[in-house]
Amino acid sequence: MADVKLTIAGRPYDVHCADGQEAQLVQLAALVDAKARGVQGGTEVRQLLFAALMLADETHEAQNKAGSAEPQLDSLRAAVALAESREAAAQDELRAAKAEARAAAAREQAALAEVEKLRQGAPVVPAAPAPAHDRALLQIADRIEALAAKVEQMA
Amino acid sequence: MELDDASLAIGRIERALSRIEKALAERPAAAATALPAAEQSALQREVTAVIGELDRLIAEAKHG
Repeated sequence: MADVKLTIAGRPYDVHCADGQEAQLVQLAALVDAKARGVQGGTEVRQLLFAALMLADETHEAQNKAGSAEPQLDSLRAAVALAESREAAAQDELRAAKAEARAAAAREQAALAEVEKLRQGAPVVPAAPAPAHDRALLQIADRIEALAAKVEQMA
Repeated sequence: MELDDASLAIGRIERALSRIEKALAERPAAAATALPAAEQSALQREVTAVIGELDRLIAEAKHG
């Protein structure tokens, strides 16, 4: 325990408190002393009575304020919870959108690769058989001309 | 061979066919049997072969 000397309304008091709480006790005593000194006239007991009443009034008012703030706190907590929920949903949607974008990009890459493969694999000149056809046409022309010559000889 | 060359070959074929048609039209009926049998058979085989070759080309052209 610690010994603390306090002076309230001009009278010294020796009090004890837990170790480490001396400064807080002195601070509280200063509050009481200030209230007591604020009461003009009257006995010391009356000064202390009014100091106690004023401090009780301030305590009551503070409690009322805390009580009235409670519903607002609840609303704020609900709003925070809602915002957190929406943020989580938005994060989920974002993740899904990213996954979809990645899948679309992969599909596009695959399609491009397929197009490129087809382009490389496709014949540059699609009419490749044309020369063969032309050669065949020339051979047929030769053969029909020979036939014509033969038929003309027969006639 | 360019397209023009192919057209030229087709033109040659058309002209040869016209010559054959004309020769056959002007040919006397008696001459139909004048050709030896072996030669006549060879001629028929050649005509059949050329017609078959033409059919094959036409089919290939139709189916790309």
